[in-house]
Amino acid sequence: MSAKPRVLVVDDEPAILRFLKPALEANDYEVSHSATVADAIKRIAADAPDIVLLDLGLADGDGKEVIRQVRAWSDLPIVVLSAREREAEKIESLDLGADDYVNKPFASGELMARMRTALRHRMQRNAEPANLSVGGLDIDVLRHRVTRGGAEIKLTPKEFELLAFMVRHAGRVVTHRQILAAVWGPAHTSDTQYLRVYIGQLRQKIETRADEPQIILTEPGIGYRIGTAD
Amino acid sequence: MPVSTVTARASPDALLALASKEGRGRLKIFVGAAPGVGKTYAMLSAARSEIAGGRDVVAGLIETHGRRETEQMLEGLEVLPRSPIVYRNRVMREFDLDGALKRKPALLLVDEYAHTNVPGSRHPKRWQDIDELLAAGIDVWTTLNIQHLEGLNDLVLKISKIRVRETVPDKVFDRADEIVLVDLPPDELLKRLAEGKVYVQDTAARAVESFFKPQNLTALRELALRRAAERVDAALVERMQAQAIEGPWAAGERILACVGADAASPGVVRTAKRLADLMDAPWIAVTVERSGSNPDTAARKRTDDALKLAESLGAEIHTLTAADIPDELLRFARFENVTQLVIGRSRGGPLRHLTGRALPDRLMQRSTDIAIHLVPVQTNETAPRRTRSLIARLNASSPAHFLYASVAVAGAVIVGKLTNAFVPTTSLSVVFLMAVLFSAVKSGVGPAIFASVLSFLAYNFFFIAPLYTFTIAEPYELLALIMYLVVAVVAATLAGRLRDQARVSAARVRAMRRLYEFTRRLSGLATMDDIAEGAASETHASMGRPVVVLLPRADDLILTAAWPPDDSLDEAAMTAARWAHQHNEAAGFETGTLPIVPWRFLPVRTGEVGYGVIGVRYDKDAAPDPELQALLDTLTEQTAAALQRAALTRDMVSARTATETERVRNTLLASISHDFRTPLASILGSATSLSTYGDQMDEAARRDLLVNIREEAEGLDEMVRNLLSITRIESGALELRRDWVDLREIAARVIGTARRRGAQQSLELHWPEGIPLIEADATLIEQALGNLVGNAVTYTPPSAHIVIDAEADSAAVRLRVTDDGPGIAPEALPRIFERFARGTETAPSSDRGQGVGLGLAIARGIMEAHGGRIDAISPVQAGRGTRFVLSFKVKPQETQDT
Repeated sequence: MSAKPRVLVVDDEPAILRFLKPALEANDYEVSHSATVADAIKRIAADAPDIVLLDLGLADGDGKEVIRQVRAWSDLPIVVLSAREREAEKIESLDLGADDYVNKPFASGELMARMRTALRHRMQRNAEPANLSVGGLDIDVLRHRVTRGGAEIKLTPKEFELLAFMVRHAGRVVTHRQILAAVWGPAHTSDTQYLRVYIGQLRQKIETRADEPQIILTEPGIGYRIGTAD
Repeated sequence: MPVSTVTARASPDALLALASKEGRGRLKIFVGAAPGVGKTYAMLSAARSEIAGGRDVVAGLIETHGRRETEQMLEGLEVLPRSPIVYRNRVMREFDLDGALKRKPALLLVDEYAHTNVPGSRHPKRWQDIDELLAAGIDVWTTLNIQHLEGLNDLVLKISKIRVRETVPDKVFDRADEIVLVDLPPDELLKRLAEGKVYVQDTAARAVESFFKPQNLTALRELALRRAAERVDAALVERMQAQAIEGPWAAGERILACVGADAASPGVVRTAKRLADLMDAPWIAVTVERSGSNPDTAARKRTDDALKLAESLGAEIHTLTAADIPDELLRFARFENVTQLVIGRSRGGPLRHLTGRALPDRLMQRSTDIAIHLVPVQTNETAPRRTRSLIARLNASSPAHFLYASVAVAGAVIVGKLTNAFVPTTSLSVVFLMAVLFSAVKSGVGPAIFASVLSFLAYNFFFIAPLYTFTIAEPYELLALIMYLVVAVVAATLAGRLRDQARVSAARVRAMRRLYEFTRRLSGLATMDDIAEGAASETHASMGRPVVVLLPRADDLILTAAWPPDDSLDEAAMTAARWAHQHNEAAGFETGTLPIVPWRFLPVRTGEVGYGVIGVRYDKDAAPDPELQALLDTLTEQTAAALQRAALTRDMVSARTATETERVRNTLLASISHDFRTPLASILGSATSLSTYGDQMDEAARRDLLVNIREEAEGLDEMVRNLLSITRIESGALELRRDWVDLREIAARVIGTARRRGAQQSLELHWPEGIPLIEADATLIEQALGNLVGNAVTYTPPSAHIVIDAEADSAAVRLRVTDDGPGIAPEALPRIFERFARGTETAPSSDRGQGVGLGLAIARGIMEAHGGRIDAISPVQAGRGTRFVLSFKVKPQETQDT
């Protein structure tokens, strides 16, 4: 086991830090803190934390600025904490490259789970394996084969591409725009009706119960995430 | 291979004319040469066949004149009831225009197109009623005798020696879609007349024998037949133009009618119209004013009448101003490619004709390419002669001016007598000439000419031998005297004209200044009511007549301003005002609509938007001065511009208010969601951390989380309390539970709470002896004071000092919260007690988030509920610090209670 994972909490509300710090420490994180956009960027560059918890409303500006700048040179996991329910802002954060978001107020356990997923999949992605496995599904990326318990599930090339893209980004919320740009091309970023149709077909084929999806989970109004129940 | 195609284009004018007819009702006129030819009968029998064809036909007004045959034709036809109109204490039964518009049949029959309505009707003439019916899309059939046609008025006068007063403009007649000629040979008509089958109105009875002569009837019949034939031609040509049929077009003739104030002008107009009809040519009526001249009102009215007549006969009209009238006329004629020029013979007296100075002579001398028609004056017309206008000019000057002239001449006589001893007699003329020039400059042309003649006589009487007689001994003296008279009159005329011109330009300057004042005054006013008020008083000042301004409110016009102040208009005037507003046309006095109303209403509008009407009251006798009319038009335009500006401002303000309300609501929602979400996040996070990971934490960490939960919950509670309080304060439902309270105790508790919440500033309580108890609601006072202290903590740096102290006198107890922070910006100070006003965060690291911006509003509400007040002072000293003072009133007998 390597050293303790280091987390940078970027939030200007002392009350939030006051409960996050003990909770994170109890989960074996090493906690550092930053209250402004400028300071956060400086610390990420200098300390190279393993994961960042980012509040969007900061005293000296918009937390999205941190994502924008950091993503230019680092792909460390960023989980957004937002007290605002404005979906546009969350989608924007995800499009800029944030991995996930948690709505304030949140339970500590949920936050810890999200952080774990983000960290684990980041390590997997670095390895970029030829075979992916999720929710009892085995995906052979090279041969375009999907099997469940050895039985092959027939997917059209588009369906496979869609599934492969999402599985590659497991642990992250991917926005409609991101999926459309990657699978259908940048010209189709607003054609969400394609997505609805293909996700529906895909769920019929890979989910055990299409009405209660376990693998492709919907983030209402934002996008999808691959369920990684652990 | 090149192919040349000649594309026949439809003339745009013809198409437009056709288009404007669409949607309008169609007009059919049954034309006869004389009364009694059976027009009404013909119209009714044609109508019966329409009814048989299933058409909705209503008889709007039929004059049967008691003829049995005609009455029989009316049977079974729906007849519109006539509406009673009271005029000079007699009830007249007139055509019910509103009834007809309401009934809206497909076809309406209205007899006697040329009828003049009873004064007090909406329109003076029946053809105007019919025009409104057509505009409403109702087809109308009507009847007309050819002698009632305006353009034939002169001819009819020549034929019958009777001037027909009821006339219909040719323009209106020409607009008819169909003309039906009802013809009856004169012999038969005379037979019917002899049999008593022709009704002749009493007023015309005296003319009967002269009118119904066979030669008259033949001539009128010929007129009617010719006119009907011309109509057929014209309709054909119009059709050809509209359909772009190549045809024999009239050879580019253009006719110019020169009119003025002289008696020949109406004849000139009618002659030009007939020429235009014959040649199928467009025609123009023009009047030229001598620049700087100031014609009297009567002359201007005659000129205007002539131009109006020309316009009603279909001419294009122009008014020119020039120093050299013939030159300008010819320039204009050449510019307009005029080929035929019509002018009255009377322009210029007999003397001028002899010398070739009369206008027609000068025109003939100078033009070689234009045919000139001379029109004689109609002899039986009561012609205003030029001499009369001279007399009028003399009369126009007040007697005082003639007195001045006489005094001037008398003065000249005295001076002459005194100097006679030293100076040769011939130089005396210069002395008299001075008197003449003095009169000219002081009093104008009339008195100056008077002075010339008077001085001529005085010179003769006092200075020329034999003295003191009007006889002259020496012929050379007579010659000198006559030369003097000529020089004096010429000098008087020139000087007088110069003075008149100066007066005219002074009047123009005055009018300009008035206009400038008007614009300047209106531009300073903001609301529409103020502008209406300003426009009324300024227009009154310019016009010298009562003025009203009406603005629309909720679908009706409301009398908004009047000068002199008045608060009502009678119903007739209101009707005219509404008409003017709705139809965008002048209505009332001397207009085509409700001319009996003494007010003239002008619509005030810019482009398509109507802002109201301006009404000016006229006396029956005093005709509106055209110059003042022009000024009124300008004033109306300026008023419209000012009202437009006010309307735009009003719309902008209401839009801004709406935006402001929206902004406040958004701010409130944003702060509430932020201010609730943060403590909730903290509580939920702490609680879940404890329950999930409590076992892995040490005792101190667990304690801290629990304290965090309690404090955040307290903060939330306070916020909820504040929100509830402001709601209660705003709705007036704040209930005071008054009891005797010790302010010191409350202050101490507030300081304790602030410290517990982590205030790092130093908090001190300075309490002097002898502060009385007050009767108040302890909870609310604590809330108010708590908000003040909370603000001080939020908006000052941790190193600041916050002091609570108190002072008391016989009238009040004052509780003060003073800090030495940066203070409140002067521009923000007046607004801090408003809801959602928030200070700019001076210390970003402040421990608590920004408040909702309700704290001070609540404190003020609480203090006002207690009958006290709250004041803010900033800076307190040395440019820093803020002090809030809560003042409680004390009843005198209670000051001793402590």
